[in-house]
This record gives sequence, structure tokens and C-alpha cells, in this order.
Amino acid sequence: MTSHVMGIDFGSTTAKAVIIDLDGAIVAARVSHMGAVSDQAVKEAVADVLAAAGLAQSDMKRTVSTGYGRRMLDIADKNFTEITCHARGAIAMVPEARLVIDIGGQDSKAIAVDASGLVVQFAMNDRCAAGTGKFLEVLARAMEISLDAMGDTAMQATRELKISSMCATFAETEVISLRAEGNSKPDVLGAVHAAIANRTLGLVSRVGKVGPVVMTGGVARNRAAVHHIERALGLPIILPADPQVAGALGAALIGLDDYRAEQARQVAAPEDEDFARQMALGGACAPACKGDPITARMVAGSSMTTGRRVLLAE
Amino acid sequence: MGRVDTIIGELGRIAEDPVGYVAGWKERHGRKAIGILPMNFPVELVHAAGALPVVVQESRVPITLGRSLIFEYYCGYTRSLVDQAVTSQLDMLDGMFIVDHCVALLGAMDAIRYALPDMPVYLAQFTASMDEPWSPPQVRDEIALLQARLAALCGVTITDQALRRSIALFNHDRALLRRVYELRRTGRIALGAAEMQVLVKSAMVMDIEDHAAAMTELVEVIAIERRPAADGVRLHFSGHFCHAPQPELLDLIESCGATVVDDDLYTGYRYISTDVPDLADPLDGLTTWYFDRNNNVPCSTRAQKTVDWESYLVAAVAADRSEGVVTLMPKFCEPHMLYFPELRKALLDRGIPHLLLETEHEGLALETVRVRVEAFVETIKRRAAVAPELA
Repeated sequence: MTSHVMGIDFGSTTAKAVIIDLDGAIVAARVSHMGAVSDQAVKEAVADVLAAAGLAQSDMKRTVSTGYGRRMLDIADKNFTEITCHARGAIAMVPEARLVIDIGGQDSKAIAVDASGLVVQFAMNDRCAAGTGKFLEVLARAMEISLDAMGDTAMQATRELKISSMCATFAETEVISLRAEGNSKPDVLGAVHAAIANRTLGLVSRVGKVGPVVMTGGVARNRAAVHHIERALGLPIILPADPQVAGALGAALIGLDDYRAEQARQVAAPEDEDFARQMALGGACAPACKGDPITARMVAGSSMTTGRRVLLAE
Repeated sequence: MGRVDTIIGELGRIAEDPVGYVAGWKERHGRKAIGILPMNFPVELVHAAGALPVVVQESRVPITLGRSLIFEYYCGYTRSLVDQAVTSQLDMLDGMFIVDHCVALLGAMDAIRYALPDMPVYLAQFTASMDEPWSPPQVRDEIALLQARLAALCGVTITDQALRRSIALFNHDRALLRRVYELRRTGRIALGAAEMQVLVKSAMVMDIEDHAAAMTELVEVIAIERRPAADGVRLHFSGHFCHAPQPELLDLIESCGATVVDDDLYTGYRYISTDVPDLADPLDGLTTWYFDRNNNVPCSTRAQKTVDWESYLVAAVAADRSEGVVTLMPKFCEPHMLYFPELRKALLDRGIPHLLLETEHEGLALETVRVRVEAFVETIKRRAAVAPELA
């Protein structure tokens, strides 16, 4: 039996699952779109990622969930918010980043992070879907265009129009009016993405505009959204290879931290002077311990958080 | 169900239905009930006049008819007050008194005067500049004027003896409430934030002797019945000058792995922090109370060089060993909004984690709040876990 850890991000529009090995490297990652029966998509994502990795659920030493439906997963040992998990996952993907912009299906966040992937400050939309993936979904419907095609079409805009960034419902009315006035579809879609960018800038201002900036979440796949947010911020945005799974990866890495910390605590206490010395340092120890305190170990570009001082063998 | 649960249940029912309680009290006693608005009115004056002082709280009812009298961008409390006036919820009061502290509340008072033309409504101006040598005599003059108006309204003479007795009763009740605060702050009892609100909110409505009797019994048994459970992340609540945060919000915050150990809320420690000193002239005592109160728990509506809210908050957090501060800010509360940058800067400078939650009369998107609170608690826990490694 192999040892792995799984992270699951149960979002409002997609379910993401990531399996990592005990060194924190991604073994498999999958994204499933939600249907009417949302937990079905999660089951699919989990089944797919296990199949892709050639593993079974019993191979998972830890399963950690995050996202809107994080508390609904029976297989999860623990759950954490998407803020904590996106911070952890984003820093694992882009270690130099200090600001994470996560725009998901129903909420958006700006998260200031430190080098270890811990949250310094965060801000998220709290009353309105404007500036989220849902905002794009509503306006895609009004514009009779698929969500996937929106970004590329918006990049063809030649004129700058303005629509409200305050309310998805009012924005829909504005979009219809702009189209009725004869404005082109790319120009109107450009305005839609600029509205999202303005909203995002408002969030960023609450945690402080710092760089480098990494963008995660489904909307990071939309190049018009990225372009307009870069313009609004006046900073380049780094895109990880798969920004949509950052939250699930973060959940998996937190699971790995937890697993390692528990392993360290459970090691049988050897009856020797080294152990006494180690314990005097306030820590636990690992198998074949040499007595040298090592407080952190890099896992996928990010420091491992054990919760305790851990003494590892060289 | 233990005695503590029973007492809190009874007080909670009163706090949730002040109209019913006041109606019953008036029927039993045949005396007047006087509405008081936050936050500097010396309620002892009303009690000494033989009337029931009732601090009028925000109603849970959605705002309807009141919308025609006050703008949407006034805070939920002031809008609710006006709505209560036009929907007959304040009819049981025989008068309303206020010592002003913000312009929105003054606007609400004007709207109440318009809605209830027969209701005696009195406004007193206590000098907000606390350091000036002429401020105490001016405040004392205002208190004397309030005393005269209350005496006229209630048809009695407010004697020094009656005032001294009222001061002693309210001091006693405040001391009992502070005792519960101290027990919670030092981790000797488990008491939810919403339950603590019940204890203070009921004190704002009830006959003070009845409230003190309930509190006396509660203090006797609470350490036995409510032993502290496993600790969550220790949090300090700050904000809400005038009215109580919604209990479901407080419950939600504590359900996210947090334990609220202290606060500076109006319906909390701010209300009970300070006793009226027993001076030869009780009006001097009430005057001193007004100034002492701002020394003990400073307010951003008062101007004082020697104290400030942010220093108080930082010191309180150190004293109660809170691991973070949750600021509860009513939407459109200008005194709080304008001062918040100072609070935020002080907390940031000292590395004290903090979370701002803006509250509204119309309710909150609780699931979104949950995400933010859980993320806040997770951040504190994860940082605490890493700290020993970095040491």
C-alpha cells in the first residue's frame, strides 16, 4: 500500500481533487463541473483523480476538503476554508507570490500571504456576486455566448465601454442596453471584464497592493479577466500551470502537514539520552533520529508546517 | 436544565420582548416607563423618579413604514428606532430621553418627534470635549436639567436620598455583571457571547432590583454549572456602540472554533464598566461617572487627550489574553467607521490579528461570514502552530 494525501475543493461550480505524494509532489489532479446534483461531481472528481493516480481511497493517509461544500464530504478527515487552502496551494505553485487573487464561482478573495503560505490578511466579497465567476455566468447568458469563449471574445474589444461593477442584476440590464444601442459583442464583453477588474482592485486595496501577484480559481483561465485585472492593478499576474486546483492542492498540503506532525508525535520514545535531550527542546522525534533539530523541510516549494518542532534523521 | 440556563432563558425572553415586559411592569406598578437612547444617559435619574428606565434597542422586525422618514444610509439602529416609532412599538413609553452622541441618532430623534408628536422627547447635550475645565460644570448643569424634566414628567420630586438609593442599586447590578465578565475573561466559566449579551440587554430593560436578584443567583451557581470547556481561539469583540449584534452572528462566530472572552460593546462591557461614585452630591457623582466612563472604556465620540480607544483595546487584549480581535461595525456607523483606521493601525503595529465584520439590520450572508471567521481562526491557529518552530 502506498502513502498519499488527497485535497478536495468542493466549489460552487466545479469540484477539484488533487493527490500528492508524501514529498508534496502532485500525482494527479482533476476538475469536474457541477451539475444539478452537486455531490455527484465531487464523487466523479474523486473517482477520476484516484483512477488517474492508480490509487484507492484507502491509500490516502489524509483527505482534506475545502470550498463551499467542504463540510459535506464524509471522506474528509478535516476541512479548511478556501482562503487558507488557496494561500497554501498558491505559494506551493508560485513560491515568490505575496498576493493571491482567487476568483471562484461565487466569491472572490484577495489574500496577502507570507513565504510559508500562511495568510497575513484577506478580503472577500460579502454581499454581492459582482466580481465573481457567477457575474460572468449571468452576463454570458445575457450575451448569448459560452463562458469559455467569453475571454477570447472580450480580448477583441476595440472601444472602452463602462458598465456597473456593483450588481450582477443591474449589470445584466446595462449589457442588454449596450447591445441594443449597437455596441459590438467584444466591446461589451470588454466592459464586463473591466467591471470585474475594478471590483477586484477594491478587494486588493483592503489587504494592500503587494507583489508578486498570483491568480487562482476558475476565472484565472479567462485571459480577458487576467488582462483587465493586471491593468487595474498595474502589476503583472503570475498564472500557475493549473490555477483552478490551487485550493485542492493547498488542502492536500495542509493534510500532509497534519500527517507528518502526527507521525512525529506518534514515534515511540527511545530510552536514550538523545531522546531526553530532544524532549527537553520541546519537540517530538522521527524514526532514526540523529538528534539534530530541523524545524522545517521544503515541500513543493513551501515550508512544511508541523505544528511542533520535529527532529528528523539526516 | 440547570439554574443558569433557566435564569438566562428568563432574562433572554425579557430582552427579546421589551414591549411585553414594559407593559407588564406598568400594569403591576402603575408608574411611567421612560425610553433612553444610548449611550451616556444616567439611568439612575429615571429610577429615582420612580419610573422604569428602558434602553430602547434595535428591533428584529424588518424596517417597513419607517423608510419614509429616514434615509437608507442611516445605521440600522436609528432606522429601526424610527420604524418602531411609526409602527406603535414605542407607544408604551411615557417619554424619551437622549444624551446626544452622534448625528444619525439626532436625526432619528427628529423623525420620532415627527412620528409621535404627543411623546415628550428630551435631548441633552453633554460636552464631548472631556479635558476642558468648564466641561464638568456644564455636564452637571445638563444633568440637573434632566433631573428637573424627569421630575416634571413623572410628577415627583427627585430627592438626593432617592438618587443615592438608585445609584447604589445600579452600582450593585453592574458589579454583578462585571463579576460574570471577570469569570469569563479568566477562563473560569463557559458562557457564550450571545448569553452575555442577554445578561446586559436585560439589565437595560428590567426593573433593576429584579435584575440584580437574578444576577445574584446566577453568580452563585455559574462557576459550578458552567465549567469551562476546551478552549477555542480566544477572541475580543469590539464595536457596536449603540445596539446589540445579532445573537446568531455571535453564535456563528463561536461555532467556528472561537471563544469570546471579552468585549467593549455597548450591550456589553462598555455599559457596565463604570460605577457612579458615592459623593456628597449625587449629581456630582453622575457627572463624574460620565467622565470616568470614558477613562475606563474610551469612545470615539468623545474627545480626550489622555485616553484613546486603540490604546484601551490593545491593553484589554493583553489583559484578557485574546488571540485576536473581531471588530463588529454597524453599517453606516460614522463614529466607528471614521475611527476604525486608528484601531486597525494599532492592532497591525502590534501584530494582533483582527477581522472586520460589518453588520446590518437586514441580516447578514451568514455563510460568507462563516468562511471569513473560519479563515481568521485558522490563520491564528496555524500561526500559533508555526511560532514554536520559528522560535
